[in-house]
This record gives sequence, structure tokens and C-alpha cells, in this order.
Amino acid sequence: MHLALFTLGRLGSAIPVLIGVTVVVFLSVQLVPGDIALSILGRMATQEQLAALRESMGLDRPLIVQYGRWFAALLQGDIGVSLAQQLPVAQILVPKIWNSLILMAGSLFLVLTIGFGLAVISAPRFRSLTDRIVVALTLVFASLPVFWLGIILLYFLAFKLKLFPISGMYDVVGGGGFWDLIHHLILPASVTAASSIAVVARVTRSRMIDVLNEPYILAAKARGLTRRQIVLRHAVRNSLATFASIGGLQIGYLFGGVVFTEIIFNWPGIGMQLYDAILARDIPMIQGCVLVVAVVFVLGNLMSDVVVRALDPKGS
Amino acid sequence: MTGIPTALKPPIGRRSNLYFVWRGVLGDPVARIAAGVIAGMMLAAAFAPWISPWAPNAANPELRLMPPGTPGHLLGLDQQGRDILSRTLHGARLTLICGILPVVIGAAISIPLGMLGAWYRRLGAVIMRLMDVLFAFPMALLAIMLAALMGPGIGNMMIALVVTLIPYNTRVVYAAACLERDQAYVEAARAMATPDLKILFVEMLPNVVAASVVYSCTIIGAVVITAAGLSFLGLGVQPPTAEWGIMTSEGRSFIFNAPHIAAVPGIAITILVMAFNLLGDSLRDSLDPRTRLRLVKPAKET
Repeated sequence: MHLALFTLGRLGSAIPVLIGVTVVVFLSVQLVPGDIALSILGRMATQEQLAALRESMGLDRPLIVQYGRWFAALLQGDIGVSLAQQLPVAQILVPKIWNSLILMAGSLFLVLTIGFGLAVISAPRFRSLTDRIVVALTLVFASLPVFWLGIILLYFLAFKLKLFPISGMYDVVGGGGFWDLIHHLILPASVTAASSIAVVARVTRSRMIDVLNEPYILAAKARGLTRRQIVLRHAVRNSLATFASIGGLQIGYLFGGVVFTEIIFNWPGIGMQLYDAILARDIPMIQGCVLVVAVVFVLGNLMSDVVVRALDPKGS
Repeated sequence: MTGIPTALKPPIGRRSNLYFVWRGVLGDPVARIAAGVIAGMMLAAAFAPWISPWAPNAANPELRLMPPGTPGHLLGLDQQGRDILSRTLHGARLTLICGILPVVIGAAISIPLGMLGAWYRRLGAVIMRLMDVLFAFPMALLAIMLAALMGPGIGNMMIALVVTLIPYNTRVVYAAACLERDQAYVEAARAMATPDLKILFVEMLPNVVAASVVYSCTIIGAVVITAAGLSFLGLGVQPPTAEWGIMTSEGRSFIFNAPHIAAVPGIAITILVMAFNLLGDSLRDSLDPRTRLRLVKPAKET
């Protein structure tokens, strides 16, 4: 099948999933224990305030009508009004989405480059000292809780050694600009990426070891190709599809990790906004954050499927 | 699996899964160490009240923030002057429970769900589409959203984790059950007019359960981290209860003058998760038809 057709097909199947996502996010409000209006406004609320809130959120209507209204507003970019800030959720979230995407992109870059690099270094040297060190490192890193790694690196690298800034995206005084951003980005992006790097390196390494045991590698050796040529020409190319699919799977883990790193490094993105919303019990904001991340996640998976497809030699 | 020489098939066919678990996991020194670490932590958790030098919430404000090595307090004291070693030992209880229990409950729900889905194809289509929707949420985020909306607390956190785990385990069970569905023994049972439910839960279940158990074991490590993460965010275990996620969270506020408060519980989480991951990998390898070959003793001539 042609790649464009495949992409269209995947887009088509993503639409019902996205609609399902909106249903789940909408219904999730039903999980809030007790009277939603009361839990939003608190015990001090008067009967009039409660009635007004129920009216404005449409809480007195049947669920299906509520969903219809909510979904219609959603299509126009209206995710609701933040209870804590009294501003439209969408308006608050748009700049945060970009900040989170920057952090995500930085992490994904590290995951793909370092993860692949470790596999290329270790697989051709199967069971050598280098290989064993890589395996041991990936084992430890795959088991590190992201929130703990963040705190510890913050202490050692930012506080003790002063190699990186402690928080934020830019310096407050004289900040701004690309290199200032990169300087602030390295630490949170590395923390977010750490366990995913380990997973990508492990899976790609074992795929590459399988490839290197194939008869055609022996044939290539017999033809007199150097190890370097064999690795670059055969092992790398035949591991790419596996690498891309495990790399794509990491997007979800990175989104989970971003929530924690943003809180620890004070990175003004969706994760920190979500945390603030949780503390303030700002329900429309929690819904908005989750909805935005889920949509980006679905689209990210779609892109990674297309890339995997394009890289798979057997695919087309 | 192609590539397995036919001559080797009969001896493998007669070995039970338990045989491979036994030889694979206990024959692997790394897995033995991992199992030992987990057993040790479980024992520490079970006997925490008797082996802890102090009570988990007994505070000595005069010694607050003191580093590891303070006389009588091997791992130091926290921001309220509570003994970190004692809190870590007690914290193992909830950390282990929050990591393991949701996986067990999730599997108990996923196994019938996946099997019924594989058997009744229309129902299966509905179930798997529902799962697709849940897959559209990053795992940690779905758990965070559910726990946040239901309200903080250990019970709600468990429910959130179970819901988050169901799609993953159901997919594993569904795939395994779809393979079993077409086997000859199922066809034979059908020909004998065995009731559907009996075929599913008497004939097929033993063959499907292995896949779910292996998957569950490989995911415990991730669930331990997610559960600790939820407590870190204030959504799970509540202070002053000792649990490794909340201890890390409390230590975060004092990271610059007393880094050991956050360091100790985090190291404990890492060791536990590493042990679960190693054990899970070993278990998976020992039941994987592609790698289990090496576990069979050189076949005796029969």
C-alpha cells in the first residue's frame, strides 16, 4: 500500500479514537464524588451560586445533552473556564502547550540519539566489557523513578556543581534567546528521557544482535566487508523499523514523565499547569490538560506509525 | 515458531510451564538475586514494627534534618526528626501493596474480559475499541486524571491504577486467547458440545493465564513507580503515613539542606523496581518459546 494511503487510513481510524477520548474526558467529571457544583465552589457557597453554576455548566440536563453542548463548544476551541483563574482554559493552555512540546522534543531527541547510539556501540561488541556496561546502565536507568532522578540531579548538577539553572525556561535577568533555552532545557529533558533511553537502547540492541546473527551478515563478512561497513550497511538499516516503533512507544512515557519534571524544574508547561489544577481542584482545567495531552499523544502515535511504515523494508 | 527443529518438539511439548519457570528463573543467578531482594523487602515490610529501631512517626525535633550516621539513626532523620530507616521499613508495606495489588486486580478483570472478547467476536470488537480509547491516554496521565478527579486517597489511587492497567493486560489476554481459540483441542471440545463457558474457563484458561501472569510480572516495576509518583503528587498515600513516594515528595522541600531525606526512599524504589524488572524479564524469557529451548536439558534418547 502506498504510504500516503496508509497515512490517510490511519488518520481515518484516529478520528473515532479522538471522539472516544472526548467522551472519556467528559464522563470523567462523573467521578468527582458528591455534588459537582458543591465540590467546585466549596462549603461556603450559597444556594444561588450553586444554582447558577449548575445552570452555566448545564449540570441539570441529561448527560447526553451535556455532552452535546460540551462537544460543540470544544469544536470551537472552548474547553471551559478555569475555576481558579476565571479565564478560558484554552487561552491559558496554548502557551503552555508550546513549552511542553519544547521539553518533549528535547527529551525525544535525547531518547532517539542516545538510545540508538548505545545500541550501535554495544550490539556489535556482544558480551564485551562495553556491552556489559551498557546493559548494566540501561538496567539501572530503566528502573529510576523520574521524580526522584529529577530531585537528585537538581541537587548535584544544578545546586552543587552549578552546571545548570535550577528552574524555569529562561533566566529572569538578561534571559531569553535560543542558547539560554537550551541551557535550561538540558537537565529536565535528560531526566524525562532517562528511562526511555534505556528502553530504546535495550530493545534496539537486542534487535541488532539478532540481525548480526543472520546468514547474510556472515555472507557480508565473507565478502570482506569490515565490521564498520557491516554495522552501518546492514545492522543499522535492518534495525531501523524496530528502533522507530519502540521510539514511538516512548512518546506516552515521556508525556507521563514531563508532568513530574515540569513540577520539579518549574517548567511552565501543561504538566505544571495540571499539578496546579489538581491542587486547586480546578476540574475544567484538569480536563483541558488531559484532553490536550491525549490529542497530541494520538497524533504523535500516528506520526510514529507512518515513520515505522516508511522505514520498514518489508512494509511497502 | 519456525526454526525449531521438529526433533526437539516432543520433549518441549511435554514440559509444563511450571518446569520452565522453575528452571529458567531459579537457574538464572541474576533472577535468584532479584527474587531474594524482593523477598527481603517483603519480609522487611511484614516485620517492620518489630525490626524498626523507632516508630515511623516518632519525632525528635531536636535532631531534625540530621544526616545519615547520626548515633541511633543509621539513615538520618527527616524534617520533623523522624527516623528515616524506620520510615523506609514501614513505607515498604504500602509501596509493595500499591505496586502489586492493582496488577493482581487488573489481571483478574482483564482475563475474563480478554477471553470473552476473543470468543464472542462482536463483543470482542466492542471491548477492543473501548480499549483503543483508553490507549489514547498516556498511562501515567490517565492514572493522574482519574485519581485527581476521584480525590486523594489510597483507595482511589488503587482504582485509578487498575483502570489504567486493564487495557494493557486485556490486549495481552485477547491476543493469547485468539491463538488458543483456533487450536484443535478447542475444536474437539466444541464438537463434544461442551458449553462455551466451560471451554473458555476450564479448557482454555490454563493456556491463556501464563501470558497474563508473565505480562503482569513485567509491569509491576512500572506500577510501583506510577503509584509512588501519584503519592508524590499528593494523590495517593497521605502524610504522615510512611510510603516511599510521599517520603520523596516531602524530602523535595529540603533537598538543598538535607538531600538524604529524598535520596533514601528513592534508592529503595529503584532497587525494588530493578528487582521486579529483572525477575519479570527472566520469567518472560523462560516462558518464551524462542528462548526456552536452551533451558531443556540435552534430550535423552527415548
